[in-house]
Amino acid sequence: MWLMPSASATTIAVKAPFSAMARTSQVDELVLAAFTRTLPPVALLAVGGYGRRELFPYSDIDLLLVVEGPPTGPVSDSISEFLRILWDAGLRVSQSVHTPAECCEIHEGNLELTISLLDRRFLCGRPAMHSTLERLFAPFLVAERRNIIQHLSRMTRARHAKFGNTIHHLEPNVKEHPGGLRDLHVIHWLHTLKPFEWDPLDQARAAQFDVRARLHHHFGRDNNLLSFEAQDSLSDHPGEWMREYYRNARHIHRAAQLALDLCEPPGAGLLLQFRDWRSRLSNTEFTVSRDRVLLRQSAQLEADHAIVLRLMLFIARHQIPLARDTETRLSRVRALSATWTEIKAILALPSCGFALRVMADLGLLQMLIPEWARIDCLVVRDFYHRYTVDEHTLVTFQALERIASKRFRTLLEEIDQPAILRLALLFHDIGKGEGAGHAEKSVLIARAAFERFRVPEDEQATVLFLIEHHLDLYQVMTARDLSDPSTARQIAESTGTLERLKLLTVMTYADISAVNPDAMTPWRLEQLWQTYLAGIAEFTRELETDRIHLPPETPSPFLEGLPTRYLKTHSAAEIAAHIELATQGNAVHFERLGGNFRITAVAADRPFLLASISGVLASFGLNILKAEAFANARGQALDTFVFADPHRTLELNPEEVDRLRDTVLRALQGKVDLAKLMDKRRRPETRTRVTPTVSLANDVSETCTLIEIVAEDRPALLYDLANAISSAGANIEVVLIDTEAHRAHDVFYVRAGGRKLTAEAMGLLKEKLLAACR
Amino acid sequence: MKKIEAIIQPHKIEEVKEALKGIGIDGMTITEVRGHGRQKGHKEVYRGMEYQVDLLPKVKLELVITDARVEEVIRTIVTSARTGKIGDGKIFIFDVADAIRIRNDDRGEGAL
Repeated sequence: MWLMPSASATTIAVKAPFSAMARTSQVDELVLAAFTRTLPPVALLAVGGYGRRELFPYSDIDLLLVVEGPPTGPVSDSISEFLRILWDAGLRVSQSVHTPAECCEIHEGNLELTISLLDRRFLCGRPAMHSTLERLFAPFLVAERRNIIQHLSRMTRARHAKFGNTIHHLEPNVKEHPGGLRDLHVIHWLHTLKPFEWDPLDQARAAQFDVRARLHHHFGRDNNLLSFEAQDSLSDHPGEWMREYYRNARHIHRAAQLALDLCEPPGAGLLLQFRDWRSRLSNTEFTVSRDRVLLRQSAQLEADHAIVLRLMLFIARHQIPLARDTETRLSRVRALSATWTEIKAILALPSCGFALRVMADLGLLQMLIPEWARIDCLVVRDFYHRYTVDEHTLVTFQALERIASKRFRTLLEEIDQPAILRLALLFHDIGKGEGAGHAEKSVLIARAAFERFRVPEDEQATVLFLIEHHLDLYQVMTARDLSDPSTARQIAESTGTLERLKLLTVMTYADISAVNPDAMTPWRLEQLWQTYLAGIAEFTRELETDRIHLPPETPSPFLEGLPTRYLKTHSAAEIAAHIELATQGNAVHFERLGGNFRITAVAADRPFLLASISGVLASFGLNILKAEAFANARGQALDTFVFADPHRTLELNPEEVDRLRDTVLRALQGKVDLAKLMDKRRRPETRTRVTPTVSLANDVSETCTLIEIVAEDRPALLYDLANAISSAGANIEVVLIDTEAHRAHDVFYVRAGGRKLTAEAMGLLKEKLLAACR
Repeated sequence: MKKIEAIIQPHKIEEVKEALKGIGIDGMTITEVRGHGRQKGHKEVYRGMEYQVDLLPKVKLELVITDARVEEVIRTIVTSARTGKIGDGKIFIFDVADAIRIRNDDRGEGAL
């Protein structure tokens, strides 16, 4: 059959650009010939892709047969004969038979007929019937325009969402996926319904047409899936060829989104109210109008590039898309640089992924981080990954934003510096595409970039650690025996600190979740959690059991007997400062720490020591955020408190700093009457949002009873807890206090009379502690 | 022909795969599953809160082999998957009526 592309035709078509117009003319001839032979009493129209003259080698031939009434007898016979001839000629005909009135009705749930009619083209047959259709259809379109646009936009957004709202699928469908030909059709339909100015995207259109035609020839049927196998067959350099594909798809996808934005009706009352409410977010630089961000003074953009970063910070904070005009202006920006402070401000926001995606789409991310070009649209094929490397990276941010698992969400909330985690995610796969060992390559590339941004040493160290080890926990959870103590030891050793273990766990969560939409199975979720638990169990165990043992006759024996964890969580400078402090007997060091303060105290260990210091801090109205207390072999206690000053007492009254230091020093010596001090401060009524939990366990540590408390944070909580423990006659050996938002997480290792607590004592203490939490 | 279905500890899968490869068995289906036998999950304490873990992550391995190789394959799986602890898993054996290779209609043992 001459209409079926022959083998030789395939070869020619692959070399020469395919002409959809030429193919349409061929089909027109055949349809007309068949019609002439059968002469059914209808008006024959080409609709859909055939109507637009966009036929691909194996496309369906969409025909509309306009009839006066339901076809019966000879009319029906002639139509059947006409269609049979076309089928026999090898055409895949997709026909519909309607009266003009039927064509001018909205069919709920099936908008396809109405949409296909937007591309109608009269071929032959009864002109009177065609005129009737045209006469009825034009006013119908005017009346229903809004309704049709709404349907079309809902269908399009649902289709985009179905494919993850991304063009970067490793095996894309060139017709249906975002950025595919269907998006071009949507733009064309919207433009027909409500004309607007738009770039015809000639180059991108021609390129995607060519890809689809090649695919049809390759598969010998209407298959639009650009599979790995097809990519290999259609190009000698599939990697580069696909990058080109994605760049074209990106243009088309963005144009489709803009067209939808322009044409969508403003929506229902509530939505409008919300949009109006959002317009109040406008500030001196940016206006929010109809839920889009505009620049107040667009000329500023050329003069001051820093405004670009402020704009990104604004949209990251409020998650409002840019107006078309703002995007156009931003696309003219040619250079962009930033300091770590500016980048960190964006990355600190939970929804910064939204801004990063906008930056990636507009090429701004690549200007800011030239290394991004390495992974832009980069295809790395493996069995599991669904997206290109850049897209996978951006999806990790979404994964963090939408953590469904409560356990992992809490873990993320506990992370002190989420910006550090997000910086690690941004660079974790930047070394991909050059063979095995991408984590190490990513580290090298990231280090150079961090030097440029002047990321401080300590933050850099953590980020580089995360990048280098981002595959470790996945390997452990899939290939190691989690109940084996050596696995737990390995996790604790390689992560070093609890904070790093948390960071790596959440990072692994995001990384797995972004591989494909189904990658984070309940199976993997449970395995990852068990891996994390094995790690923290080891940290908890070793905190009390693994002590520093120095060689005999070490000049400074202060470190002897402190937990080995102490060495991992403190820098060399901090350790030196502590050793120096310990030479002074009872001593206090006060310092400012960002927006907070830190007090480090060394004193001879005694009962109520921890309660005394926390009591003093509470009596000054200070809010303890973190604390740790260890004792060394010489009976010296090292207590560190990080605290906030919610009433700005220390800031507004510098002399209070000295009074605080003195009071703490006197408290170390046991010279402060705490009961009197605490009486002055009445406990404010607080609404409890966290149900307190207190657990006491004797099986975790070899020598101590472990107490773990999670409770609503409030002023003087630590004082009350430490006081309760000391009053029960128990000695506090090790303390770790952590607070995030309004939740306090406190861990105490205690002993009474050199032994673990008895079951009876544990029961009594638990009651006391629960009472103290309230 | 017999179908072997083995539920094993996740961290043992590589070892079992290697051991099976060692006796010339390459084809198998591996699924990540969750469940429990007499092990019945366990209690876990996190942050002072106790909770029950009912379904434990396991790996399911399925393969179809000739009758003659059944004992050898079972022995290989048992040896390589055993840690001696509760939760090591189980092996189930089913009779297979027939096998067909879709590509060329091969049937029976020839299709394995």
